[in-house]
Amino acid sequence: MKIWRIVGVVVGVVVLAGVLFTAYALITVTHGGNEQAQQPAAAGDPADLPAQMARGEYLARAADCAACHTTPGGRPFAGGVAFKLPFGTIYSSNITPDKETGIGDWSDDDFVRALHAGVDKEGRPLYPAFPYTSYTALSRDDIVAIKAYLFSLPAVHQAPPPNELSFPYNQRWALGLWSAVFLKKERFQPESGKSEAWNRGAYLATALGHCGECHTPRNVAFAMDESRAFAGSELQGWKAYNITSDKEHGIGDWSEQDLVDYFSKGHAAGRGTASGPMSEVVGYSLQYLTPSDLTALVTYLRDVKPQRGGEPVPPAPVAAQVAAAGGLGEQLFVGACAGCHLDSGQGRQTDYAMLVGLRSVRDPRATNLTQIIINGSSLHVGGQEVFMPSFGDAYSDAEIAALSNYVTSHFGGQQGTLSADDVARRR
Amino acid sequence: MFVLSINGNDTQVDVPDDMPLLWVLRDVLGLNGTKFGCGMAQCGACTVHLDGRAVRSCVLPVTGAVGKKITTIEGIGATDIGKRVQQAWLGIEVAQCGYCQTGQIMSATALLAEKAQPTDADIDAAMSGNLCRCGTYARIRAAIKQAATGQISLPQTVA
Repeated sequence: MKIWRIVGVVVGVVVLAGVLFTAYALITVTHGGNEQAQQPAAAGDPADLPAQMARGEYLARAADCAACHTTPGGRPFAGGVAFKLPFGTIYSSNITPDKETGIGDWSDDDFVRALHAGVDKEGRPLYPAFPYTSYTALSRDDIVAIKAYLFSLPAVHQAPPPNELSFPYNQRWALGLWSAVFLKKERFQPESGKSEAWNRGAYLATALGHCGECHTPRNVAFAMDESRAFAGSELQGWKAYNITSDKEHGIGDWSEQDLVDYFSKGHAAGRGTASGPMSEVVGYSLQYLTPSDLTALVTYLRDVKPQRGGEPVPPAPVAAQVAAAGGLGEQLFVGACAGCHLDSGQGRQTDYAMLVGLRSVRDPRATNLTQIIINGSSLHVGGQEVFMPSFGDAYSDAEIAALSNYVTSHFGGQQGTLSADDVARRR
Repeated sequence: MFVLSINGNDTQVDVPDDMPLLWVLRDVLGLNGTKFGCGMAQCGACTVHLDGRAVRSCVLPVTGAVGKKITTIEGIGATDIGKRVQQAWLGIEVAQCGYCQTGQIMSATALLAEKAQPTDADIDAAMSGNLCRCGTYARIRAAIKQAATGQISLPQTVA
């Protein structure tokens, strides 16, 4: 039968293509791309870096290595931070110079290859929870400087717990196929028509700071959808907001000072306070950026292509809305929240407690708001801890739903529609 | 080393910069009138004034108080409103166990400085962060009204 012959040929071609692609992926998995690339001007450390801070330390902070490789209260960079994914749990690695459990016997080339190609010393693919899709753009000099800093720290002998992943996600070799499709092993290329600050900001945001790993939506294969860069996403139960220059959906309406305040202090009055994963970014990374790098980052972000996406954020109201229907939510707010936040939402003794104008209180689904009520919030900035206690154990799902709805309507002017079941799912 | 302005006096303290003001007041300076309650700004027992505003000293790092006028319960009687509030507190015999009354008096004084004749709703809003586990809220409200009007005020009782 002719038809079967054609089917046979088609199947054969598909299988052959699959085999060839797999072979290609496996052969190229450890290739890091152009390792001879010239260091662009946008890479390196800024000219206004305080002399006492080593270049590698500064770059390691800008790359926010600590957020994933240091457990709360644990030894720096000893790994073991758990990442709960839909298909299991993986743990970050020990990147201290311990020879057995850390990276003590890695050469510079091994370490550069890990960041450029996403493979370990033996050439086995790493899970893309490690943001090598962004770090691949880093210059070799910067990566070597980061390694030199890590190797100047005390070695910690501590093996992370083994990963707990189900089949087929525990098949590391298959990640090579993913990398072959989604990992563009290219170094950062400055755009010639743009200013020096813009290019430095782009390098900070896309390579070192890897902002897109959280703020860029992902496609069905969990790869960043670059056509919608920085348009906002949701992960680990938190909203990573749209940070494009769109005035309604993004941060186009924020002033430069708002952005600098947010990065350096974790708070911009009437705009936002860093909580959850973002409080780690500010605490470990952004607060240490030099003034010139802050300016560069702001310059770049303000020029990111505007994208609609996520909840639109209408202009911030100047004061609390007229009291919405009170009831349980208002009672709870007055009893448990007004002590710090004040009835007006202006914050009693610190701007950090200001509710008015925040995106989290203007989100009708109250995603981040309920996270903060349930888990509390903690921000280490400027040598101090700004915190809010958690209320998850104190209040029932129905109470937290009522409280959320009161806050979104009273301070955000939105109709909160959260139910007790919604809250239960977020615990 | 920090210089703090407490009850009109400049006082030097040598403490870590993230030490809460409450610790400085009680443990370093011996001003024990301000009470420790919950340690997380939930009860109001540690309330002091910072430039006249009621703040919770248990979560306020000492650096946040530098350059501002700190008033504690030890100094509040030196102000006209504070004196009236304290007299009303005595007149109505507000306190039962008395543990929260430092914070209550500080919050009440800050309220009256801002609103000389507060309504019941103003009192509820301003005093909502100050817990009294003896439940003397009706007497607290009466004392605030008495301090505001200068007229004897009877606590509202359940009809």
